[in-house]
Amino acid sequence: MANTPGTPEPISRLIEAFHKLPGIGPKSAQRLSYHVLRMPEEQALALATAIMDVKRRIVLCSVCMNITEADPCAYCQDSRRDRTLVCVVEEPLDIVAVERTGFRGMYHVLHGVLNPIDGIGPEEIRVRELLERLKAGEIREIIMATNQSLEGEATAMYIQRLAGPAGVRVTRLARGLPSGADLEYTDDVTLARAFEGRQEI
Amino acid sequence: MAERPRTYKTEGVVLRRRNIGEADSIFTVFSEDQGKFDAVAKGVRKARSHMRGHLEPLTRSRFLIAQGSSLDVFTQAETITAYRGVREDLDRGAEAIYCAELVDRLTVERQEHRDVYELLLDELDALDAGCPLHVTRLFEVRLLAMLGFELQVDGCATCGSRLAEEDQLLAPAAGGLVCPSCRAGAGAGRRISPRAIKVLRFARDASMERFAGLRVDAGLGRELHLALADVIRAVLEREVNAGRFVEQVARLPASHSVTSRDVQ
Repeated sequence: MANTPGTPEPISRLIEAFHKLPGIGPKSAQRLSYHVLRMPEEQALALATAIMDVKRRIVLCSVCMNITEADPCAYCQDSRRDRTLVCVVEEPLDIVAVERTGFRGMYHVLHGVLNPIDGIGPEEIRVRELLERLKAGEIREIIMATNQSLEGEATAMYIQRLAGPAGVRVTRLARGLPSGADLEYTDDVTLARAFEGRQEI
Repeated sequence: MAERPRTYKTEGVVLRRRNIGEADSIFTVFSEDQGKFDAVAKGVRKARSHMRGHLEPLTRSRFLIAQGSSLDVFTQAETITAYRGVREDLDRGAEAIYCAELVDRLTVERQEHRDVYELLLDELDALDAGCPLHVTRLFEVRLLAMLGFELQVDGCATCGSRLAEEDQLLAPAAGGLVCPSCRAGAGAGRRISPRAIKVLRFARDASMERFAGLRVDAGLGRELHLALADVIRAVLEREVNAGRFVEQVARLPASHSVTSRDVQ
């Protein structure tokens, strides 16, 4: 694909680069490259700068491991937030979802979950940094907001076992039916948990 | 490959998941009648997916699958057993994930192995029911035998001579225990106690229930675990990733939950 004879070298290099992106096949990579070729120069330059800025200006917050331009990040600097409460999420994007609920505590981003078969263990994600934060003694509760998958559950239980002895309360988001769910199609574990967590109306 | 109908039904245990694209995942299933296979579930990562919970790894489910040009596609899935006791206990979950990885790495695609399937269900049932974690040793011994790597623990694996009831050498390259006179050519090995040898012999044909009833203290458990890990490493010519996780979990401070208090 990229090395079609006659394709000028800069174009085949761009095709190669696009091809490495997730979800981009050889044909899409070619189309995108020729699109870039026909772009006005300032637009192409803006794209190139945006890519460089993401790499050069975005760092991990030294406190919560969220992605940020200023370290510590905006959440960690905000003095109105509850510093005794930490919500642990898998990815930076999860923070956006949790913020929408009105949560105003602190965060910790793991950058992944335990995935034993793929060889992703606690050293491969940001567990150690979380334990370091606990040592300061300010945190009283950790809310495990990892996904409700086998991996997310394992990660939550793993951290609970590590943090429990430190005297920190470890909680897990409630599990049950998503809105709009069909009982008929709901799996047994979810339905059983929904029954256990039922509430008076 | 033999002709398969356009859609087919099967049941199996989900071994692992790999996410692809925005919302799809590829699942590796070990099925009752076709052995291991991969199939894709479209849109399964969306919150409202009907199949989501039924395709979680370590779930035994019934599937309706459509044959695809490259990958088959799940069209329906329904849980048979969710193994909640495994899923909600870290020690049990780690053992089960380890077993799933073993089955995945040791079996070949689309090769029927009902015995392996039954064994996997036995193991998951045992872990789910709260049996001691050493049941995994029976799983390992039997799985190796079913797939043609039977461990020689009666006599010397090299010359067949009888072995005295004392510490012996377990040499993975030789395929089992080796007598003192054969040790030179048997390659690396690990000393193993008469007690551990008895357990390995018992594991060959004991029922899961009887094996679970064995009294295996921490020292013996560790010895058996390390010995079988050596053998499996030699067969696979690599480490089992989840094996490291099992060890990491074992080193954690003890859980306060009721289910794992009796685990030793």
